[in-house]
Amino acid sequence: MVNEDSIKSPLNTKNDPIKQSEEPKNGERVDSLFSPNFRSVAAMAGWDEEALLIASLVVEDTPDRLPKQKKRSDLLHFKTPPTNSRRKRRVQKRSPESIPVTVLDLDDEDDTAKQESEKKEAESKSIENLDKKRAEASEEPRCSASSSDKNIESKSIQKAEKKGAAGLEEQGCSVSASSSSAFPCIDRLREELSCAICLEICFEPSTTPCGHSFCKKCLRSAADKCGKKCPKCRQLISNGRSCTVNTVLWNTIQLLFPKEIEARKAAGALNSREARRKSPLKAATAHSNITSSRISRVFALNSPESGPSSQERRNSRSMRRQSVQAAVMPSRNRDNNSRRELPSQDEDAALALRMQREEFMESFRTRSSADEQYRSSLALARANLRAMASRAINIRVRGGRGT
Amino acid sequence: MYGGTPSGGIGISGSSSGGRAWPSTTSVSSSGKRIQKEMTELSIEAPPDCAAGPKGDNLYHWVATLFGPPGTPYEGGIYFLDITFPSDYPFKPPKVVFKTRIYHCNVEPSGNVSLDILTDNWSPALTISKVLLALRSMFTTPETYKPVVPGIAHLYFEDKAKHDEIATEWTLRFAR
Repeated sequence: MVNEDSIKSPLNTKNDPIKQSEEPKNGERVDSLFSPNFRSVAAMAGWDEEALLIASLVVEDTPDRLPKQKKRSDLLHFKTPPTNSRRKRRVQKRSPESIPVTVLDLDDEDDTAKQESEKKEAESKSIENLDKKRAEASEEPRCSASSSDKNIESKSIQKAEKKGAAGLEEQGCSVSASSSSAFPCIDRLREELSCAICLEICFEPSTTPCGHSFCKKCLRSAADKCGKKCPKCRQLISNGRSCTVNTVLWNTIQLLFPKEIEARKAAGALNSREARRKSPLKAATAHSNITSSRISRVFALNSPESGPSSQERRNSRSMRRQSVQAAVMPSRNRDNNSRRELPSQDEDAALALRMQREEFMESFRTRSSADEQYRSSLALARANLRAMASRAINIRVRGGRGT
Repeated sequence: MYGGTPSGGIGISGSSSGGRAWPSTTSVSSSGKRIQKEMTELSIEAPPDCAAGPKGDNLYHWVATLFGPPGTPYEGGIYFLDITFPSDYPFKPPKVVFKTRIYHCNVEPSGNVSLDILTDNWSPALTISKVLLALRSMFTTPETYKPVVPGIAHLYFEDKAKHDEIATEWTLRFAR
């Protein structure tokens, strides 16, 4: 990696020895990541560069590397060094294999415009991703970002359609029917990726030496309570205690079923009483950290150079970045608001639990009297109570969505 | 004779396991959730000739029905079973009891089933639908090496025709 870098951009070392190790690396990672051969093959297979890039980003988004990512996103605030290798890089970028994506003729546009449009694409795409992730179908900041140029817009729409598969699968998984999704095997995926112990989507999957994956927690308690055997094939698990998370699988699951994972996180927060308030927020912030760093890296990848006119471009870029962040912020703010105004779903669930328990205690107490009639009336009352509670919860949830 | 079991009233009234009905800790959710999942899965797609569901409004007490598979002496019989889930369910096996009398070397006269997957070989990856399948295959091929009623197993080896005859008679008498 380092060797390659130094070979590819020898000029950098001369010009700016300090920054070279950081920023241009970011910019050139694309080139060094994918060999020309690989890229041509990818082009033949119909993968565009963006897809490859995003794929590589996804792979790197392991939780362990969070601090590293932060560092990288900090790099954005550095000024990109004025390097001579810009042209070189651009040539590489424009090699016929690397941009097979769009058929629209943008040939008459100059380089900078192209770069701009690429950046905008990245933006709109990342915004869309955020959108889908948060299931805020109502707002479409993409339009504001890309309305300036008709070409760009149509291009981004095309892209959006391409990306649509990913987006749709995310949406489709929320609706369990998922017949409308462009991803017909989502049900099979759900089956395949669910833990055999809790029967839900694997949460922090851990893989046994024999190749079976379960939730980390489930596997651990299975090893504790049922002996150190694989629940599926009964092979010995050497050390059931030190389960590690299968990061590739975990990332895949998080991408495919973000809703379920969020719900599961919230449920986990409910279970641990003290952390009930904090952890959903923490999760949300961590999530936004990841996404923002992802955005920033996309930016960095798409704008490796800094030309003479880069100053204002950078300004506009940072403006746009702010707007992106602003687009992220309102949803979170809204969450907070709704939390403040209405009792959250967690509270509702806790309430329901308490009611159930009280019910049980009551019925337990009255059982000693052994009065059949009274018990049946109690059952009726209980059913009524339960129906009311569920209705109230429904109304609240609906109200929470409405605002 | 035991035909009335499926409508056995409110689950809580089962006095023997009252303490288990709603385990007081919040860990209810893990076992309860899993049982609920199994319930919905069973309602979508049950194994052939099987049915299972909660008895009353208690999630931890189920009743299951099995139809005697054709080609066996149990053909035409309808067998009711009680299934009781422990509070740490996926990690401990459910308790399965035949409520209908059956002439089978793996079923105690009291109705307790001696199936290896319900005792030592239980795995948390097993589900009720798999248990039902195992019970079904137990009808067709009794596990004669570790019988809980050795007399029946012995007869099965010595004189299968006689064994089948008795089993058919029991089916006609108790399971219709």
